[in-house]
Amino acid sequence: MIAAIGLAIGVTLGLVLQPDVPLWLQPYLPIAIVAALDALFGAVRATLEGVFNERVFVVSFVANTVVAALIVFLGDQLGVGSQLTTAVVVVLGIRIFSNAAAIRRDLFHA
Amino acid sequence: MSLLADLMTSDALDPGYTTAARRGEGGNGRTSSRSGAVLVLVTVVAIGLLLATAVAKVRREEPVAERHRQELVAEIESQTRQTDRLQRELVRQRRETARHRAALLAQSAAGQRTQHELSRLAFVAGETPVEGPGIQVTVDDAPERSEQESDDVISGARVLDRDLQELVNSLWAAGADAIAINGQRLTSVTAIRAAGDAILVDYRPVNPPYVVTAIGDPDTMETRFADSRAGRLFRTLESTFGIGFGVRRDEGLKLPGASALTLHYAREVRQR
Repeated sequence: MIAAIGLAIGVTLGLVLQPDVPLWLQPYLPIAIVAALDALFGAVRATLEGVFNERVFVVSFVANTVVAALIVFLGDQLGVGSQLTTAVVVVLGIRIFSNAAAIRRDLFHA
Repeated sequence: MSLLADLMTSDALDPGYTTAARRGEGGNGRTSSRSGAVLVLVTVVAIGLLLATAVAKVRREEPVAERHRQELVAEIESQTRQTDRLQRELVRQRRETARHRAALLAQSAAGQRTQHELSRLAFVAGETPVEGPGIQVTVDDAPERSEQESDDVISGARVLDRDLQELVNSLWAAGADAIAINGQRLTSVTAIRAAGDAILVDYRPVNPPYVVTAIGDPDTMETRFADSRAGRLFRTLESTFGIGFGVRRDEGLKLPGASALTLHYAREVRQR
């Protein structure tokens, strides 16, 4: 419940304020989004399976975002930033997908 | 390989959840403490903000590209207007000069002879507006057709600069005294050429339909033009590609004068 309200508040804030993304942050926006989605789907699944823990949720979101950003930052310094972005997106994307599948199984038992 | 396999087969749920559950913290699917609830709320707000920001950014960048395009279009239009204005100014100044020259030359007998010669040359060079009977040839790009409508006619065929050159040459050969394309008078040094998708006549763009007006004997011109290479070419283009093509006689055609001929390099051969 809190999560749904928070998400709604966040989306509304973002759409109303339309904050400018600083140029130096822009390369990290896609991975931040994928990391956020990963954390979100993981949390939904954990809730459905009755093992949700807010500390794990918050820490995993923050850590995922930071680590993904670090990997891309490192890649940018080494000249392989876009490739590493792809790598992060693929790995987290797979996790999102299997979490979504697990959610579907939990909800529909199919 | 094992990394990828691990990714595909292992439980995708963050191991932290199960570990925490095994340790016995929370794990009932509900937020247990007040501070924990606040933490979750903050994180979720951050996630929502992130997603909305990304959406807003994408939405905002779309119109930027469109705006740049619009600005370029406006720039082109304003520059074209400016060119047209300058062109009109040039015509006006030229007329003024001609008037002053005529007034000065009219003061002496020698001047009057020169004036007479001058106007004859200007007329022959195509600098003065002329009128008379002639024919008007209209050619146009083929209309864009949907594929079902007609399979045997190719859609969207365009008139090329080559075609216009052929057309104009055939009209000269058919005995035209003066020719204009879309109101642009042709002289002996007027170029018809393509620049990108546009056709330039005397370095100014002309748009379809191209109306080629030729003054001359309508009867002979019409017959000779119909028999000429260009006549055959355009009949073929019309039937094969759907290019618009029409010839019309007109007894009272008016053609504008061309801008003055300026020869930059050619000099008159001095008689010795």
